[in-house]
Amino acid sequence: MSHIHFPVVAVMSMFVGGFLIAIFGAKRRKLSQGIALVTMLFADVLVYSLFSPVILHGEVISYWMGGWKPVEGYAIGIGYEVDQLSLFFAMLICFVLTMSMIYSIRYLEKDSALDHYYTLNLMLGGALLGIVMTGDIFNMFIMIEIMTFTAAALTAFRNHKAISVEAGFKYLVLGSVGSGFILSGVAVLYGVAHTLNMAQLSTVLSQNYNPSTIFAFALMFSGYALKSFLMPFHTPVPDAYSAAPASIGMLHSGSLNKCGIYALIRLTYILFRVMGLPAVQTMMVLIGAVTMFVGVTMALAQHDFKRLLAFHSISQMGYVVTAIGLGTAIGLTGGLFHAINHSMFKGLLFLCAGAVYYAAGTTDLDRLGGLSRKMPWTTCCFIVGAFSISGIPPFNGFASKWMIYQATYQKAVTTGNIGYALVTVIAVVVSVMTLASFIKVTQAVFFGQERPQLSAVREVPALMRVPMVIMSLICVLFGTCYNLVNDFLLYPAVYATLNTHGYVDAMMGKNYAAASGMPFVKYEPVQFSFWNPVTWLVLFVIVLLAVFVVMMTGESDRGRVLANKGEEADGKFATFFSGEKSLPSHVGGSDLFWGFKKDFKKYFKVVQGIHSGIVNDYVLYAVCGLAFITVFMFVFVLGR
Amino acid sequence: MRFKDGITEQNVVVKCGSDFMLPFALMFGFMVIFFGTTSPGGGFQGGVMVASAVLLVYLGYGREAAQSVISSEFIRVNEAVGAIIYVALAMCGIFAGGMFCENVFFRLFNIGDPLSAGTITFMSYAVGYKVLTGVGFLLLLLVGLLALDTQEEVDA
Amino acid sequence: MMLANYLTAIILIVLGLFCVITKKDLIKIVLGLGITDYGINLFIVSLGFNEGGTSPQFAMSEIMHGAYFVDPVPQALTLTSIVIGACVDAMALAFVVMLYRHYGTTDSTKIRRLHG
Repeated sequence: MSHIHFPVVAVMSMFVGGFLIAIFGAKRRKLSQGIALVTMLFADVLVYSLFSPVILHGEVISYWMGGWKPVEGYAIGIGYEVDQLSLFFAMLICFVLTMSMIYSIRYLEKDSALDHYYTLNLMLGGALLGIVMTGDIFNMFIMIEIMTFTAAALTAFRNHKAISVEAGFKYLVLGSVGSGFILSGVAVLYGVAHTLNMAQLSTVLSQNYNPSTIFAFALMFSGYALKSFLMPFHTPVPDAYSAAPASIGMLHSGSLNKCGIYALIRLTYILFRVMGLPAVQTMMVLIGAVTMFVGVTMALAQHDFKRLLAFHSISQMGYVVTAIGLGTAIGLTGGLFHAINHSMFKGLLFLCAGAVYYAAGTTDLDRLGGLSRKMPWTTCCFIVGAFSISGIPPFNGFASKWMIYQATYQKAVTTGNIGYALVTVIAVVVSVMTLASFIKVTQAVFFGQERPQLSAVREVPALMRVPMVIMSLICVLFGTCYNLVNDFLLYPAVYATLNTHGYVDAMMGKNYAAASGMPFVKYEPVQFSFWNPVTWLVLFVIVLLAVFVVMMTGESDRGRVLANKGEEADGKFATFFSGEKSLPSHVGGSDLFWGFKKDFKKYFKVVQGIHSGIVNDYVLYAVCGLAFITVFMFVFVLGR
Repeated sequence: MRFKDGITEQNVVVKCGSDFMLPFALMFGFMVIFFGTTSPGGGFQGGVMVASAVLLVYLGYGREAAQSVISSEFIRVNEAVGAIIYVALAMCGIFAGGMFCENVFFRLFNIGDPLSAGTITFMSYAVGYKVLTGVGFLLLLLVGLLALDTQEEVDA
Repeated sequence: MMLANYLTAIILIVLGLFCVITKKDLIKIVLGLGITDYGINLFIVSLGFNEGGTSPQFAMSEIMHGAYFVDPVPQALTLTSIVIGACVDAMALAFVVMLYRHYGTTDSTKIRRLHG
């Protein structure tokens, strides 16, 4: 079997694994887990073995199902096309799925009906792989639907808790509305072009701006923006990510919104080729900037660990969309790099949150504290994740965020538009607020005094620690060896995205794109330009050692420090010290930034009032977002 | 409704109606599945019609009868069996040297036979089987959900 | 003649979304979702109509250049979309039943333990 069959077989094998578990796995927990792991590893092998032909040799796999090749220049079959961008996302998705599955072996040991969980998980994985590897727009819609159902069912997995079912219902309603938008867009597109193949569509639609195509673009853009959860479509995210089990939360933030980003890239760069228009660039950057800012300010006001992580997830997606929306090669590289980094560090943070929930039984920041003594591995991994997301060298967040700042600033310089420099400033401010938020979480959960009701906490089992350690090593690795990442992963993906002629010719035959009059645009590769991060790593290690040394030589009991040698601690200092020892005086999660929250009370009241928790309001925001995008596109693209 | 040995009997008119319609529903549903490639219909449509048999039994004889006549475990497992048969048929294309889902049998029969579509007819049968078991299981589950509420009414 | 179909489809879609946005009962929200799906299905199947075309079933000897038939692709798309609509409705109703068990009400303004 030659390697062109691998994409389809990978997707199908995930579904077959799910069906096998449905037949044999009822009440047999070990068998379900075994079948799930074997299927996942099989799909991993198939996808990673495509690395050599597709990325190293530059081949684009084009596969027509049923052998229906194009007839007289018209595509009549369903095509699967795997180019470097697809393989980039496919490898990321396989990695995240494998880590989630290893983690869930011990994490879910107290839950029942695990065969349902593994069936749904495998079908979700198959749908995700199907989205990134397909070349047919209706097939992508079907896979998005499967992804929405299985994700909603998995969110409500622990259905003995009321919040899980509520979150699953909201996710399902919003997801269904989004899929409705996508389907309407596909229908209008079919009416205009009479084909469903993405390669042929991009030749028909290029420079073809009439009201039908622009309306289809607006509908599909809103639908895909809802799947990647940008503002104002982000509303089911905080509920769903906090109510889902942690291994599913990691899949949500690590792969589901990446598929939305992939679909957006395919839509704007390849299908419609509108990224050259300043109107579309402005719209994407505006949406990205608002998402970044509102996401992080909402996160500062949260009490729940996973809800806070969910808002940070929204904010980081804002970074990715801002970078992609610039329309330059360096912006696209920064956006893709930040997408893969985000999966790594956000997945790591969700796994740590799950570990805390497994050990302590709660995720409320006001009730946790001082867990670092009992859970050292979790604390280390969490600190790696927290520094990565804040953009501190030498971790991977710094590399990609620096590239995004560079991209926006370069765009401001080349176009002379001061708005892009403002976006750079917003991005840096959001980075600082992210750091502040994570200092709050680290202090509230891991450091400080230990609460008396948490004294029975122990470190999580080894099988849960393995994915966390692997992902933190990758965070450090991507941060230091960014050139390797650029050569092998990013540059091929960016080149494949910008080179639409190659995509079309691989599917429809040589010189199809040139013959149909598509214009050809040339781009150059990008270079990283910041300081050598290995020096940062060495500096970091030295500072860490110094802090450790100072802590060890210091005295921990203040009463003995102030007394002279050989004497008892003097009683007159008792009023200063004995009070602290007898009462817990831990600075809780809600107390750290209360001054900030009090000063901006009006802003927080408005923004927290918008997230009202009522599903009607959420759908209203989604429809308003669609209206805004449609009006914007009609006024600025057609009205020229 | 009165409970009598676990089977609640409905009104005699409703029971006779459901007795009369049941063979027609099943027969017509299976006919729509089997002749899917030469007449309107096909796997999904016929499957839903056959699955309506569950609802007919529930309407005529009550929930207990529906749950005892149609075994829910068997149906649940067979749904996945139908799906696996579909994927196995699609993989026939790869094993015969072509692409996935390639039509490999269709030159063996005459035009106008339902089997003349080759692999597509068998895939349509597999889809029909999966849909009839799937929708049947769904209906059985929804009927069973009503049980807990009515039990509370009887106890209270 | 297709104008009536298209108008009905648009009205159904807008009505369905209006139902989801304004109605407070969870079952009415699910019904609104269903109406939106049916409106989109009507829209898709109306796209494939060619005036005066025959049904798209031909034997190998009958098909020739210039044969005029309605487009079969939107019919296949609509079939798939109907299945998806049925699945969404089923799952949403199952969620509504479980929500009623947990919260004791089907009023969407009372089901907001996760907010802010």
